[in-house]
Amino acid sequence: MKKLPAMVVLILSLGIMIGSQTFLAPCVHEDGSFGSCHWAGQMMLGVGGLLFVLSLFACLSKDGPVRKGIYLAMMPASVLGILTPGTLISLCKMNAMRCRMIMQPAMIILCVLILLAALIGFLMERKRA
Amino acid sequence: MKKSYLSLKNLSRRPGRTAALVLLTAFIAFSVLGGSIVVSSLRRGLNSLEDRLGADIIVLPSSAQSKVSFEKLFLQGTTGAFYMDASVLDEVLDTPGVAAAAPQTFLASLKADCCSVKIQVIGIDPEKDFTVQPWIQESYARDIGEMEVAVGCSVEAGVGEIIRIYDERCRAVARLAPTGTGLDTAVYCTMDTMNTLLQAAESKGISHKITSDGDRQISAVYVKAQEGADIDQLNSYLNGHIRKVTAVRTRSMITQVSDSLAGVTRTVRILIAAVWALAVIILLIVFAMMTAERRREFAVLRLIGMSRRALSRMLLTESLLCSAMGALIGAVLAVALVLPFTALIESSLGLPYLTPDWKTILGYALGALLLTVLIGAASSAFAAWKLSHADPGGALREGS
Repeated sequence: MKKLPAMVVLILSLGIMIGSQTFLAPCVHEDGSFGSCHWAGQMMLGVGGLLFVLSLFACLSKDGPVRKGIYLAMMPASVLGILTPGTLISLCKMNAMRCRMIMQPAMIILCVLILLAALIGFLMERKRA
Repeated sequence: MKKSYLSLKNLSRRPGRTAALVLLTAFIAFSVLGGSIVVSSLRRGLNSLEDRLGADIIVLPSSAQSKVSFEKLFLQGTTGAFYMDASVLDEVLDTPGVAAAAPQTFLASLKADCCSVKIQVIGIDPEKDFTVQPWIQESYARDIGEMEVAVGCSVEAGVGEIIRIYDERCRAVARLAPTGTGLDTAVYCTMDTMNTLLQAAESKGISHKITSDGDRQISAVYVKAQEGADIDQLNSYLNGHIRKVTAVRTRSMITQVSDSLAGVTRTVRILIAAVWALAVIILLIVFAMMTAERRREFAVLRLIGMSRRALSRMLLTESLLCSAMGALIGAVLAVALVLPFTALIESSLGLPYLTPDWKTILGYALGALLLTVLIGAASSAFAAWKLSHADPGGALREGS
């Protein structure tokens, strides 16, 4: 139970990593070229990877204060994930494009859930201490 | 205060049961709010389409229907490439019963620098136009000029921004209000600007079915009938007297969309009703089972002095707390999942889809919260009533 938030982050970050390259991937152009949304997708792969490693450490760690620290580190990483598609890295200019229609909302929702899980994990560890 | 504390302790003592109740009520709130937002968006989309079309009849080349269906023409933004001689406009204007006629030229599959997306460029005549011009003037008081464009709300270009089409710089001077249709993905410009774009395309070796001398060819004529004129008769006249064109009544087009919309709305409503009926039955069973399971616990409470009324109130408080928590979670989930995916829903349904403003959504959310809490309380009311009339001694003896 005490590692539940870390497990939730582990699953969600795995979703970001796999999703950013598959079912939530940005636009694919007919001529093989790619726009800036492609780099937003690559960045999401990186953010997902970072969160995955952090959550893996949190799952493996037996030390409460260490987990608390890891949860703290997850929070800015998830905020980075929220800001990446559309704010830090621009997406296509049409709302009907895949990157705006699917990738951006899905990534934001996943990162908000991770932020909430990390916050709950942090509060649980603080209460336990 | 002590009584609600007891209810809270009861809920936290059985986290599994509490979670199941919360999830069930969350599901009700989610389906009600999500469904209401979708149905309302579809209704608003249709109203917006009716307002936006503005014309009574649309005259298109006969070849248009084989290339693209008329509903797709406006709902999905697939304007296609079909052209007719500009003289059709004069013939339409000469027709008795016609109050106004405005030409439009569609340029499909133009690649913009933004993302290789097929932006629909629509050329209008600002002097004659009565369909798009009123919408443009909501945000731009003047007529759009040379190399100026008005963009649909789905094109991410702010007012004053430069859009490059075939390396020609077009300044976005107006951003149109959303319609929830394919019109949102279009870019509107004057016929002169369209000719410049066509020349730019030709210089890049890209050919269209229209030449840069675009004044000679148009894609559609939007017709407004005179006050009191028989529109069906006018439509038949245009079909019969102008060669190689098809005149379509916008009303029939909207009726077809409205029929599809009615089908979707009916399905959503039936689904919501089914979810509600199912959830009410499940809640009734859950509360009946829960009360039966806790008969000895309630009997002990009665024997140590808790009144029937207090016992019923405790059970009702428990169900109210669960329902309120579930309703809140369901409402948040509905807003978080339905609103961000508006574009995806619109594209999947293929119908005009326009999300209501936040005040309406807030109203729906409050309504869904209230209904869910009420349904939770009503489901437990029967169990509470039955419980308050049970014999505590008998309940304790049954268990021994």
